[in-house]
Amino acid sequence: MMSAGLRDIELRSRRTELLLVATVLIFSIPLILGYGLLILSSFSKEMVTNLNPHDFIPTLRNWILFFEGRTAVFGGIRVNIWHIVLNTLIVALGVSFLVTLVGSMTGYAVSRLKFSGRKRFMALLMLLHAFPGSVMVVGIYFLYLMFLPSYQLVRFYSFFFVIVARASLEIPMATWLMKGFFDMIPWEVEWAALVDGASRFKVWRKVILPMVKPGVAAVMLFGFLAGWMDIIYVRTFLVDQTLATWIESNINAEYSYLPLVAAAGTFYLLPTIIFFLLAQRLIFTISATGVKG
Amino acid sequence: MVVVRLVNVTKIFKTGVVGVKDINLTVNHKEFMALLGPSGSGKSTTLYLIAGIYKPSSGKIFFDDRDVTNLPPKDRNIGLVFQNWALYPHMRVYDNIAFPLRIKKLPENEIRKKVLETAKMLRIDKFLNRYPWQLSGGQQQRVAIARALVKEPDVLLLDEPLSNLDAQLRISVRAELKRLQKRLGITTIYVTHDQAEALAMADRIAVINNGRIIQIGTPEQVYSKPATIFVGGFLGNPPMNFVEAEITEEKQGLYMLLSGQKLTVPKHYEPLVRKAGLRKVVVGFRPEDTAVIPECRETGECIKGRVYAVEPMGREYIVVVDLGGDLVKAIVPRSLVLIEDQEVCVCPSLEKLVLFDPKTEKSLETLYAEKT
Repeated sequence: MMSAGLRDIELRSRRTELLLVATVLIFSIPLILGYGLLILSSFSKEMVTNLNPHDFIPTLRNWILFFEGRTAVFGGIRVNIWHIVLNTLIVALGVSFLVTLVGSMTGYAVSRLKFSGRKRFMALLMLLHAFPGSVMVVGIYFLYLMFLPSYQLVRFYSFFFVIVARASLEIPMATWLMKGFFDMIPWEVEWAALVDGASRFKVWRKVILPMVKPGVAAVMLFGFLAGWMDIIYVRTFLVDQTLATWIESNINAEYSYLPLVAAAGTFYLLPTIIFFLLAQRLIFTISATGVKG
Repeated sequence: MVVVRLVNVTKIFKTGVVGVKDINLTVNHKEFMALLGPSGSGKSTTLYLIAGIYKPSSGKIFFDDRDVTNLPPKDRNIGLVFQNWALYPHMRVYDNIAFPLRIKKLPENEIRKKVLETAKMLRIDKFLNRYPWQLSGGQQQRVAIARALVKEPDVLLLDEPLSNLDAQLRISVRAELKRLQKRLGITTIYVTHDQAEALAMADRIAVINNGRIIQIGTPEQVYSKPATIFVGGFLGNPPMNFVEAEITEEKQGLYMLLSGQKLTVPKHYEPLVRKAGLRKVVVGFRPEDTAVIPECRETGECIKGRVYAVEPMGREYIVVVDLGGDLVKAIVPRSLVLIEDQEVCVCPSLEKLVLFDPKTEKSLETLYAEKT
């Protein structure tokens, strides 16, 4: 992925360059093949995963069925697919918002404020990040059990449970990422704003935060994807279904019709692809800092 | 319009590094004060103490009679320009300059008026819609100065504002900045490591080294009467020459022996040398106050030496002369033709030379002034 303006010294010969590109392509084949077959299958009557061209019978039926909320070709079970998409979005955006908010503030504190235990706090964040999220589901469940709201409210609160739990897994990494971005801003800019009369919080909001936009975008993106992709926490805490759990339940079902699942899977991939395409420029553009030397 | 006063200010950082020690400094109303010193001398620390970015470990800072020692920067009404200008990269030039006024929540039409006025004064009114990175170094620097001036500060603090400009521009901005300061009549403190800048711009110079103020005086005083060997060697290009000499007493008066040759102790120095009871002194003389003549007479005013090198500088020549091991420099007119290894006579102006105590490295005047 080369962004415009990124320059390399021209040391490599043309032959090594071709060789490198070929190697990269060879290693990407399984990935490209996987996604390609999934997308192809979603437009076909039969799955094309065994690479037999006769299996590919083009049709849009899978997509129509998917948007109708059918879980199977036959039978009357229908769900409101848009409701499921909405649930997924609530979780993803909620995680994204919380991770960005907490991550950018904590990152600033770790990067710029002097407080005792700062180094240990940073090490602890690393340690937290090292724990696989699925290990902590049980612990978090018991933690929530201590202040579980009344039964009527569970459905409403379950979003809150999922978002907080999932976000807390992403926050350590987000904090480290944001710290890296804040570290790059020269102190003078912050001092200038302080001398100009701004409070510390105003400096952060009006001067520092706009300067780390690429970092914020990255953290938002990763938070969103974490929420969008999550299945374990959604399954454990959310009463409603998201796309992940819905697709999963369809795979397990006896009547599962795989081309339909392929369509759902392709749909499920879309935001990831769109988000990456949009954010790519922002993330790979290092902001001009206005500071010379 | 304020008198800035630092009283016994010491700053020791948490790491144990001494930033500055016992700084006593008064910057008068409308004065342009330069803090001059090598890098790491504590000059920027002093500036940041005045700005309120650092808090002194001990001592007090006054703006007029107001004790500002513990006030945060925003309550001091200062303008600060950094070496790297520290513009806000995500804001247009207009918004950069308007930022301090917006923080003060002034009405937008008043902000507009003041920004335009300041921009016009600094001739950047054409660039108000650009982003800082679309401007040249000189223009960015003007924006930084405009941002510092727009809030009509009591004190203007400049931290090496010219160091990031290229040499040509630096010299032209120098004059402009000096004129601007005089026109606005704003108390200004200017940190620099460039002695030429300090001499050219300042009303008074405070020379700082190792966290202490060595000498405060007008450019003329600091240049011609350096308080220590360090000051003499730091100011001037080429700097002052220093040669060790022994004191001998003869019938006609005191003499200094420079590599075995006699040089008369200037009359005004005689009582000081006697009072200090020194056996050895360091003689300091400026290259431009030194004559080089091809033939010597025995007068007690000149010392024989050998031409080591000749450096043509365009307007004049710099001659490096070997005085029995000590290399000294003298500025001579172009008409004087000298060749390497030629024997010449070096005659420092006796009125203008400065004597230093080799032990404390202080000039005898300073030493004497301290003793009384």
